[in-house]
Amino acid sequence: MKIARPKFLRHPMVDVAIKALGRNRLQTSLTMLGMTVGVATVLAMMAVGAGAQRAIEQQVRAAGLNQITIRAGNWRPKITDSDEAIAHQGDARDSLRHPLDRVKDDVVKAAFHPEDDPMEKHDHPTARQRLGDLEAGLGSAATMTFSDAEAIRKVSGVQYVAGGIHENVRVHAGDSPTAQGKRWFTRMHGTDVMMPSIKRAWTFTSGRFFSEKEQTKAEQVIVLGQIVVDRLFGAGATPVGQQVTVWNQPFTVIGVVTSATWVVQPTAGDDQFDAVYMPYTTTQRLLNLSKLNDITVTATSSGDVSRLSRDITKLLRARHGIGDNDPDDFTIITQATKALTTGGLPPSVARAVAANVAELEKVTLEQLALTMERASRTMTWLLAAVAAVSLLVGGIGIMNITLLSVTERTKEIGLHMAVGARGKDVMRQFLLEAVVISAAGGFLGIILGVIASFGIARSLQWATVVSPLSVLLAFGVATAVGVFFGWYPAKRAARLDPIVALRRE
Amino acid sequence: MIGVHDLAKQYHIGDHVVHALRGVTMSVAPGEFVTIVGPSGSGKSTFMHILGCLDRPTTGRYVLNGRDVSTLPVDELARVRNETIGFVFQGFNLLARTSAVENVELPLLYTRKGVVKADERRDRAMAALEAVGLTDRAEHHPNQLSGGQQQRVAIARALVTNPSLLLADEPTGNLDSATSHEVMQIFGELRSKHGITIVVITHERDIAAYGTRTVDFRDGLIVSDLPTQPFDSVLPRQAGQPIAQGGRS
Repeated sequence: MKIARPKFLRHPMVDVAIKALGRNRLQTSLTMLGMTVGVATVLAMMAVGAGAQRAIEQQVRAAGLNQITIRAGNWRPKITDSDEAIAHQGDARDSLRHPLDRVKDDVVKAAFHPEDDPMEKHDHPTARQRLGDLEAGLGSAATMTFSDAEAIRKVSGVQYVAGGIHENVRVHAGDSPTAQGKRWFTRMHGTDVMMPSIKRAWTFTSGRFFSEKEQTKAEQVIVLGQIVVDRLFGAGATPVGQQVTVWNQPFTVIGVVTSATWVVQPTAGDDQFDAVYMPYTTTQRLLNLSKLNDITVTATSSGDVSRLSRDITKLLRARHGIGDNDPDDFTIITQATKALTTGGLPPSVARAVAANVAELEKVTLEQLALTMERASRTMTWLLAAVAAVSLLVGGIGIMNITLLSVTERTKEIGLHMAVGARGKDVMRQFLLEAVVISAAGGFLGIILGVIASFGIARSLQWATVVSPLSVLLAFGVATAVGVFFGWYPAKRAARLDPIVALRRE
Repeated sequence: MIGVHDLAKQYHIGDHVVHALRGVTMSVAPGEFVTIVGPSGSGKSTFMHILGCLDRPTTGRYVLNGRDVSTLPVDELARVRNETIGFVFQGFNLLARTSAVENVELPLLYTRKGVVKADERRDRAMAALEAVGLTDRAEHHPNQLSGGQQQRVAIARALVTNPSLLLADEPTGNLDSATSHEVMQIFGELRSKHGITIVVITHERDIAAYGTRTVDFRDGLIVSDLPTQPFDSVLPRQAGQPIAQGGRS
């Protein structure tokens, strides 16, 4: 067996150890197998743990720690008496509530609907009843434009800006509405080339997102979400280059988008992957629109979100010529406000928190990320503990074989001593044998562990991360196990009396 | 070379004290070929172990090459075994599944200067094998060698560190008569060519005749210490007679 070895392993005693181990191949390889399994388990478990942690991190980031959405129109929750009381305790937060006393009279008049007259009797459900606890204010205002997006782009601390128009559409496979092909009713996002940079958890299974040029020219190109591809072309199809029809217009499919993390799986009805994407310019041209439904902004730093939303509010109010006492004609949504309003909190509490806690974005999301990280770290440790047990078993195996070897080779030890080996030489010899077994087993374990990690990633669709550090750690632990469990038998061998050892048969 | 003075060794087996040696005094000059004879339990093996620095006397002094080794610490004793003494055993004690030359190399792993380099180890081992006439069997494993050949490998192993003292504990005990004489002739050559001091334990009177001097042990004491006639002028059978008489007196 000729293998190039690093210098510290070229010591002749290593040869002696390997030779000694070679004399009992079956025992040696079985012991090594124990070690291999142990190390492979450790490595695979660590890879799974680290993968989970990274996926969570990615997800938190992709969820938009630093994301701000400005939606055209302003919907405010219905305020009941008790809610009002809570909300008034804090500083006013325009995005969440607009006390009526601060809204100009004419706006109230403009917004006033005959149905709202409490004295009126109606034979049909009123808007209030139909809309539930949301009240229509300037909700349907279509005042946001592309130039607003351009202006926001210039605000300091802004990373990406993408305007968007959203419609529900029927997508039809084929280049005309009469062509033979499946149809699928889905969400259409007319958006900006920047979108993939904002949506960090996207990956393109085939093709690409549309280009700056296609956006400028308002070309009829379309990116399909994975679900749409599945429904129109069948699972696994790559429809890039084929035609689909939207609004009786032919579009060329240029890409297929799906989720990059296992935490989010494309499902029918979701907003990201059961959807189609085209340049917003194309949407504006075909639908003859100039408005934007929303503008998505990302901040360079997630801690900057609060300040940025204040600046954007100021900017848009100025641009839209809104007086000091008038409500916004847009709604700013950050992850914090979203988490609060959809996070299972009663709306009144959520509103009170939003109104009272400054820098809410920072607090909640950092805490959220921290909690998730802590959870995944716990899982990693749990997996590591399981793996450690298998290492322990491997170590006991090493101790067993080394003890056996000391007993079997007592006469040989006596001979070594007779020709000049000191106790420490004998000890080193047996320790070395234990370490050679564990290190060789560990090395094979690393190979097996890496293969297992990739296997897990492929077959179970779990993210696994094999870091160089974990490989180093696994190898180190394997060697340490060899030293630890080889120590006692080696010590026993070193203490043998040469005469007694020589007489042993 | 060797000077032992009033050497005694006691073993404790339970409450029982066994007096293996009861005060042995003798000296061996460099280049002597001493054979030690005596019945089982006479203390000759214990004496040999002490000579070989594998054991220390309970009382008495052992001076080897002018140095008192009877009180040396164990690691120092290991060094003496490695540098000054070569051992040959009755059961050969070769490592199984290991080639002859690698067996011979073994002591070179434990020299005071650290492990001897592989090339040098091989050269010295081959030289030692040449001295016992086994160069052509260097790559054979012990199970491919005859008993005599195995013992010659063991002698080569004892020689590889160039010791000044060669100790053999019944080296012919497992060999047939013809091979025994071959092995003893090798000892004789080593003495005459290299001037190595040799001490051999044996049961067989004809083997003892190869020595220059025969020491008879009984009950932990030397009962006779007589010079033997040089082996090359005497037939082994004739050489046996005076020893037998001396032993019984």
